[in-house]
Amino acid sequence: MIQLKEIDKYIESRFQRIFILKGINLTINEGEFVTLMGPSGAGKSTLLNILGLLDEDYSGEYWFGDNNINKMRDRDRSALHKSEFGYIFQAYHLIDELTVYENIETPLLYRKVSSNERKSIIADLLDRFNMVAKKDLFPAQLSGGQQQLVGIARAIAGKPRILLADEPTGNLHSGQAQEIMQVFQELHKEGTTIIQATHARENADFGTRLIQMLDGKIDQDEVITHA
Amino acid sequence: MWKNYLKVSFRNLQKRKLYTGINLLGLTIAVVSFLAICLYIHHEWSYDTMYSDYNRIYKMNQEFKSDGESQLLSTTPSSLVPTILEEIPEAEIGTLIFDVSIFSTVMVDAGEGNQEESAFAYVDENFYRVFDFKMVSGNPLQAFSEPNQVVLTKSTAERYFGNANAAQGQALKIDNQDYVISGVMEDFPSNSHIDFDFLASFKTRRHGKNPEWSPSNYYTYVKVKPGTDPAVFEGKLKQIVDKYLGKELAEYGYETAFFLQPVTKIHLGDQALDSIKPGTDIRYLYIFGIVALLLIAIGVINYVNLATAEATERNKEVGLRKTMGADRIQLFGQFVSESMLLTFASTLLSMLVLYLISPKFSSISGVPLRLDLLVTPLGITLILAFVVLIGVLAGLYPSLILSGMEPIKALANKTKMGGGAWVRKTLVVFQFFFSIGLLISTMVVKNQLDYMQEINLGYDKEHLVSLSYHYNMGDGIETIKNEMLRSGAATSISRAADMPVYIKAGYKISPGGDNQREFMITGYSVDTDLIKTIDLDLIAGNNFSETDPKRSELEELDDRNLVILNETAVKEMGWTVEEAVGKTINIGFNSNSEVKGVVKDFYFNSLHHQVGPLVIFNDPDQANVLLVKLPVGNPATHLATLENVWQNLVPERPFNPVFVDQAYSHMYNSEQQAGLIFGVFSGIAIFIACMGLFGLVSYVALRRTREISIRKVLGATQQNVVAVLAADFLKLLLVAAILATGFGIWFSKSWLQDFANRTTQSIWPFVISIAVVFLLALITIAYRSWKVYSLNPAKTLKSE
Repeated sequence: MIQLKEIDKYIESRFQRIFILKGINLTINEGEFVTLMGPSGAGKSTLLNILGLLDEDYSGEYWFGDNNINKMRDRDRSALHKSEFGYIFQAYHLIDELTVYENIETPLLYRKVSSNERKSIIADLLDRFNMVAKKDLFPAQLSGGQQQLVGIARAIAGKPRILLADEPTGNLHSGQAQEIMQVFQELHKEGTTIIQATHARENADFGTRLIQMLDGKIDQDEVITHA
Repeated sequence: MWKNYLKVSFRNLQKRKLYTGINLLGLTIAVVSFLAICLYIHHEWSYDTMYSDYNRIYKMNQEFKSDGESQLLSTTPSSLVPTILEEIPEAEIGTLIFDVSIFSTVMVDAGEGNQEESAFAYVDENFYRVFDFKMVSGNPLQAFSEPNQVVLTKSTAERYFGNANAAQGQALKIDNQDYVISGVMEDFPSNSHIDFDFLASFKTRRHGKNPEWSPSNYYTYVKVKPGTDPAVFEGKLKQIVDKYLGKELAEYGYETAFFLQPVTKIHLGDQALDSIKPGTDIRYLYIFGIVALLLIAIGVINYVNLATAEATERNKEVGLRKTMGADRIQLFGQFVSESMLLTFASTLLSMLVLYLISPKFSSISGVPLRLDLLVTPLGITLILAFVVLIGVLAGLYPSLILSGMEPIKALANKTKMGGGAWVRKTLVVFQFFFSIGLLISTMVVKNQLDYMQEINLGYDKEHLVSLSYHYNMGDGIETIKNEMLRSGAATSISRAADMPVYIKAGYKISPGGDNQREFMITGYSVDTDLIKTIDLDLIAGNNFSETDPKRSELEELDDRNLVILNETAVKEMGWTVEEAVGKTINIGFNSNSEVKGVVKDFYFNSLHHQVGPLVIFNDPDQANVLLVKLPVGNPATHLATLENVWQNLVPERPFNPVFVDQAYSHMYNSEQQAGLIFGVFSGIAIFIACMGLFGLVSYVALRRTREISIRKVLGATQQNVVAVLAADFLKLLLVAAILATGFGIWFSKSWLQDFANRTTQSIWPFVISIAVVFLLALITIAYRSWKVYSLNPAKTLKSE
């Protein structure tokens, strides 16, 4: 589904190039639950941003299915971005001025989903995450775990095939983190491809594949088997 | 989608109160000024469009030529209308208005004593066929078909009879003649150039019964048949002149031509042609229009500046929306809808403000603020278009900046204000350029107005009162004069043709003898006390004495007459002041006028013009006013005494004193109005601009909180901190000040050019304007930086 070939990303400084990513070759198949691990600065987030089409400033080839991302027109890339990807952030990044309901609704608005359809999608999501009672609250009125659930609901509202999560549990305590990872697992079972970056080894156990990164390179790539 | 945009916009605006407040206030003030000016301009522009077929109605004026000098007259002879109706087939209908109030006031008595009326005209029977004003009662087509009929306006009828409906058919005594009220009409609309309280049938007058080709005292109008080319019509008017007037005029070396002026062009047209109502100089309308647009620009600039400065704060939101799939267009829509929401809110608010200030506005500008025009379908459409336009204008640039951010950088808060900085700076410069420029203009206008108040006019206008009287009071006026002097409430009294403020009568003069050079001179008919009363400076010869011949008593063309000239007249003759005394000259038809004295020049005309030649006649019978010099002390008590004397002697005439210095100021009404308007708008512009500066400094201060805190820890005083923040902005202000100075020099040159007598160009308007604006800006900056300075560094630094 996704194929990266010889991806380099670097910053041009006065005397030398500082590589953030160097020679990344990576294939991710549909239905995988991939965990990127590694110390700070290893390039996890950068790789995630490139995968999510948020960063276009790199060299190398990015194939999505049969499409070469680098050669796509902006419009198509933007459409692909809208239809295929969902994002979850460490700091939740909900829009403070919007209620829970409206936050989940936003990506649907950008996808021009009809009003009735939006209502039913959001109702399902709220129901699924047990947040019906909280739908009219603002993010500041929720706990971190609840905010992240809204973040997930928002990310999957548009039914993306690929979910990208950057340290999704980084700001949560262990109980809440556990809960979030279980949600991920369920989504994975339903067929969503998930790519997450994390510091926490225990989170990797929920996935099917673990990629260890170090200094902008892939250090190890192993399959996780579940007993 | 739009619902969502609006919701987010609304919450965003609600959340950032300072930002919203500044923008709302700035835009509202700008929109109020803009709409008020628009309504004013609309009113001036809509003059005389209320008659049916107004585009076929023309006023007939004449151009009178003698010796190559041409003079435009807005009046024509009484024979003109009947003649053209008879002889020019293209003339559908025509009418005549005789404004008697330019000659004297009229006494009206409805059974409760005389009241003096000054808005009184005679019109012919076709008046309402040309100008179809609405009637309250009476048949408009027969209102003036008989002599001694009179129509009152509704409010005049109410004044006299308490109720407009009670007036119809009542009798009135007007100047002791009996009249019947043949109709009551609605008051003249404020945007009609015709405005009277009374219209009486012209058939009452001698020339109404028997029209003649002289004098030219009548405003005349013609409604031409559809499809008539005015040029062709004017050609036929020329034939009429040739047929009836040409020969007679040619004998005297005169020439005249009638020309058409569209009725809609009277108000804003050539100001040299006077009209029933004073017109408006169209240049002022253009200036006001530009000022209105610039004020809106300042308000919009505030928004643009604040919104871009504030863009950094909204990075995160933009980044998020982008990762959630928002197109640039969609984001753009969101931010533009925000600015439109704000514009809409301030437009609503300004309607409210306009409603509240409309009485005040009407009394200052003399123009009713027609708010009802704003709620017509067209008005609403225009306002909505305006909201969209201004909303887009204001939102365009900030939206471009915001929607163009790269999502990752935006999320990481890494974007800088850098990109938009020069745009913001340019806009700030523009705002202050405009503010300082307006202030300089205001001060230039004010300087000239002060100059005109303080200039030595050559006569003393202080404590001088003018009392108008009727020529038929005859010798009684001498009794009044003597009684007033005896009462002690007057130190000196002179009979004169008019106030010395604005003397009009024109005569021809030539030095006589072999010298045939002729020129026009202004004549002033007075009695022997004028020089003493208004304190003229007699520099050669003598004043008139009681035994001198009076001009109106002369019988033959070569009877000896005595005159006093002013210096300019003497100079025009080519004599020195000493030579002039005793010389004999030709004035008008008199060929034996001896120069008895010469007075120093005094300003007897608007300061727009240089002092022209003047001849003073000993001719009290041609006088219309008493000029009364009050003794020192409270003028009110003296006036009360004078009124007493007046009431005892002529109880049927009202006592209407006019202070000459007020009449003098009145002459510069339009300049004073312009000065006032400039003043108000420069105040508004400075206020809005300073508010914008306040907002901008707030954001800069916020962004530099950490820097300021570090400086404070290192021992910076408050002044140091203000200096740091102020430096950037003062540079911009300096650029604005330099540009504004350039503009100011240009403005004062071109505005003052209209005045033959003008104040010297001074540096003070510039210095003061720039200093005032700098000071206000500095206070704004200082206030803001003080707030940041007073934060506890321990707290601000910890948050980093």
